[in-house]
Amino acid sequence: MIRNYLKVALKVLGRRKFFTFISLFGISVTLLVLLLATALLDHVFAAQTPEIHANRMLGIYRLTMKGPENIQNSQPGYAFLDRFVRPMTKLPSVERIALVTEAQDVVSFLNGRKIQSLMRRADGDLWRVLSFDFVEGGPFTVADNENGRMVAVISETTRERFFDGRPAVGKTIEVDGQRFRVAGVVRDVPILRYSSSADLWVPITTAKSSAYKQEWLGHFTALILARSHADLPQIKAEFQSILRGAEKQLPDPKTFKFLVAGADTLFEGAARMFLPGEAVVNPGGRLRAVLLALMIGFMLLPTINLVNINLSRILDRASEIGVRRAFGASSRTLVGQFLVENLVLTLIGAAIGLVLTAFVLHAFNASGLIEHASLQLNFRIFLYGLAIAAFFGIFSGVYPAWRMSKLHPVRALRGRSI
Amino acid sequence: MINLQQVSKLYRTDRVETTALDNINLEIGKGEFISVMGPSGCGKSTLLNLIGLLDEPSRGKVALDGKSIDRYGDRALAQVRNERLGFIFQQFHLVSDLSVADNVEIPLLYRKMSNKERRKAALAALDRVGLSSRTHHFPTQLSGGQQQRVAIARAIVGRPGILLADEPTGNLDSQMGDEIMGILEDLNANEKTTIVMVTHDPRMAEKTHRIVRLFDGRQVQ
Amino acid sequence: MTRHLFKLVWNRKRSNALMILEICVSFLVVFGVATLGLFFLDNYQQPLGFEWKNVWSVRVDIGQSGANLGGGAPEQAAIFARLLKEIRSFGAVEAAAGTAVIPFDQGGMTGSWTIDGKDVQVDFAEVTPGFAEAMGLKMVAGRWFQEADSALSWDPIVIDRDLAREVYGSGDAVGKPFGKAEAKERQRRVIGVVSDFRKTGELMPNGNFMFVLKGMDGPEARPLRNLLVRVRPGTPAEFEETLVKRMQAVAPEWSFEVRPLSQVRATSYHFFLTPLIVAGTVSSFLLLMVGLGLIGVLWQNLLQRTREIGLRRAAGASRTAVHRLVLLEQLVVTSLGVLLGALLVVQIPVLDLIGVLSNRVFASGLVFAMVTMYLISFVCTLYPSTLAARVQPAEALRYE
Repeated sequence: MIRNYLKVALKVLGRRKFFTFISLFGISVTLLVLLLATALLDHVFAAQTPEIHANRMLGIYRLTMKGPENIQNSQPGYAFLDRFVRPMTKLPSVERIALVTEAQDVVSFLNGRKIQSLMRRADGDLWRVLSFDFVEGGPFTVADNENGRMVAVISETTRERFFDGRPAVGKTIEVDGQRFRVAGVVRDVPILRYSSSADLWVPITTAKSSAYKQEWLGHFTALILARSHADLPQIKAEFQSILRGAEKQLPDPKTFKFLVAGADTLFEGAARMFLPGEAVVNPGGRLRAVLLALMIGFMLLPTINLVNINLSRILDRASEIGVRRAFGASSRTLVGQFLVENLVLTLIGAAIGLVLTAFVLHAFNASGLIEHASLQLNFRIFLYGLAIAAFFGIFSGVYPAWRMSKLHPVRALRGRSI
Repeated sequence: MINLQQVSKLYRTDRVETTALDNINLEIGKGEFISVMGPSGCGKSTLLNLIGLLDEPSRGKVALDGKSIDRYGDRALAQVRNERLGFIFQQFHLVSDLSVADNVEIPLLYRKMSNKERRKAALAALDRVGLSSRTHHFPTQLSGGQQQRVAIARAIVGRPGILLADEPTGNLDSQMGDEIMGILEDLNANEKTTIVMVTHDPRMAEKTHRIVRLFDGRQVQ
Repeated sequence: MTRHLFKLVWNRKRSNALMILEICVSFLVVFGVATLGLFFLDNYQQPLGFEWKNVWSVRVDIGQSGANLGGGAPEQAAIFARLLKEIRSFGAVEAAAGTAVIPFDQGGMTGSWTIDGKDVQVDFAEVTPGFAEAMGLKMVAGRWFQEADSALSWDPIVIDRDLAREVYGSGDAVGKPFGKAEAKERQRRVIGVVSDFRKTGELMPNGNFMFVLKGMDGPEARPLRNLLVRVRPGTPAEFEETLVKRMQAVAPEWSFEVRPLSQVRATSYHFFLTPLIVAGTVSSFLLLMVGLGLIGVLWQNLLQRTREIGLRRAAGASRTAVHRLVLLEQLVVTSLGVLLGALLVVQIPVLDLIGVLSNRVFASGLVFAMVTMYLISFVCTLYPSTLAARVQPAEALRYE
């Protein structure tokens, strides 16, 4: 029965090659764009080295201090995180907490050549919250940080820039006027992984000035590794109550009385950055809504196009349908036949779209437009692709199928379609 | 007026060659009312198409008023069809999305006239066939006989000298058929319109001046 | 003939509805992308108000956040002043100044004032007196800051022409007070007007700009976040290292990052233009898809109307006439779609939904979108209409 439908479907699609072509074109291109966007989002937010535990990791990326006349918004400072967030390690649901700065531009001069790098300062726990791929040597430790040792972990690209790619462990690197000994080399981290990417890492205590220790607002982030994914809501709630406690200890309550922040997943953290305005406790929902709206908005035109084409296809075969009806085919069979055709078309289009996506992703990674980008087509994205294709196929088939079932057999035989 | 000399028409599909008309010689004078009869597939419609300049002969010559039509280019042919010929079909071929009056106006669109003049001529033609009360209706709202009358109005709106009717009563019952026949006879008698009519019905053919019989593409008697 | 055309299209509006909708949505897409591009283009053509070539920016990190917001101390301001002096001592340096914000950069400071009942939005920057020379500003009225101005009992400010026009109309702004001084604030007074200063760069529209003097002595003095250094044309990139080493020697605890303004400008261009390029590429694909769909649907439509076409040919239409009929019909359908889209889009200026969009840019976007849709429609109708014109009347009418 299904095989019969399939055979007929393929034959029919082969008969009107132009229609088949333009339908396939529309579906595959639409899918291409959507999958590229999905791959990009996946690249930025999904669990990937070094954040392989991203699904049980939270970060405190932003802190807002509000007062009656003032509002100040930036990354949290070391003082705030050290006093209020580090004690959260005692919670049973928290495995470990690391403090790390944002990636800052630093300059080095090597043999008259200027080299720009992104540097983060971190405590020794960073290497146990995130899982970097070491190609040489190893990380610096908590003890290194406590003693202010001038050691650094560098990326492969940094090794390329400073040491021509030769083994670097034990060698000295000068950055921003400071000299560090290389302790380890890690694989490059894609630049869009906003919470972990950098060209080199050094201990926090090596900072040129110790003013950071006093700051509530600064350029630090806390990364909290939970024991399991299920613990996340509890940790978020715990953090909120810690905030309320912290508010009572604000140094200048006349200027700033309230604190707004959240322990965010990667997605929520980005949402907080992208959708500014009044600081929201849960920005993730908003970003998701915006993305959904964009996706639907984009698919509007291809869907209308496809419905139009499908309708034409049906009306084109009006007389054939009339004949079949005259010979006793029920509406159900005909509509079923058409929907199978539509599904086959959509699946073929989806397959083409996937192949195109693979090509474009490969070209994109090779082009280096985004540093160290390695957009992938993985199983999850493939499933999204199938889901979108299925949605497309069904949606663009419903209205034409309905029109088809209403075709008056006699009129259809006469070649008229109204 | 219309002259066919040794006219043949062949149709070629992938491998098969069909002879629709074989060596036809025919002369139609002005003001004549002729019927063409014969069994199905004998080439009646093909003959009408050739006379009506809708198609070209594979062999032989078709001449209108002494001038052979193979001299005419596409533009010129279109002009002749527009000014000198009118067509009536078995299936009526009315445009269902246009009102009756708009349908009748169609031949006049290809002539230089003002909208007002066109409308006047269309209404006059509709009056001639007795459909003045239905000018704003759509074809789907009319009976078969009424639709054919609209088609006749369309065919005569430009005052052509020659009418070509392909089984005009074929889709109608006998009463409506008689009505249509009556209109055609009237046109021939009063306006001296030359009419070439293909028909199945011997009753209708009887009323015409001359009957041309075809069998397997050839003229017989 | 026109009336006939309109009647044809109107009577078939149900079956044309999807096509009209598709054209309408495509029109909206083209309008969006075109308007954005034209917006940038329009802004690009206005003068910047400053010179960025041969100017380097230096980000000064005193190891403390909030250097702009009252962070730091007068001692650090003294170090900052020394930095400026050292930098100016180089032969390769033509001018140097300190500033809270650098042009082309995203960061900035905005304030809003209520002056004579009007709400005025102003972008402003705290600068040292050397700023005008470093950035090549042009005075239009009055004068720029001088070192002695820090001793004044009121706050001198220099505003740009846009702001002057908005607050003082066509009158002279020099010497006039700017807004009312709040409780602990000092009165601000305009001492000069510069030509329009477009801090965000060529791609963004004009805004109101105000310069505020930041002196490096006195108890209120604080260091600024950035330095701007104008170097002599032809200065090699190696001078950067020399400069940084000298600055590091003056302030060993501070960090310095040198970025030529040409680099900052390039980054900001990337930031603004990338979405446009992406949107443009995606839109092109969508339009291609729409065009192909149009050909298919039109073709099938005409196939259905074979008998009508045969009939018209029999009634005396030449091939050209059929050709023309199909093209013009499609023109009318396109016009309906475009009209619908235009009606939607015209709400924007009428309801003043997007303030920064000038009427001229909006109109250009509208025209561009219209022309594009007509062009696509026309091109896509060419082939089907040719096929329609080739219909043989005898074949068409023989159909059943």
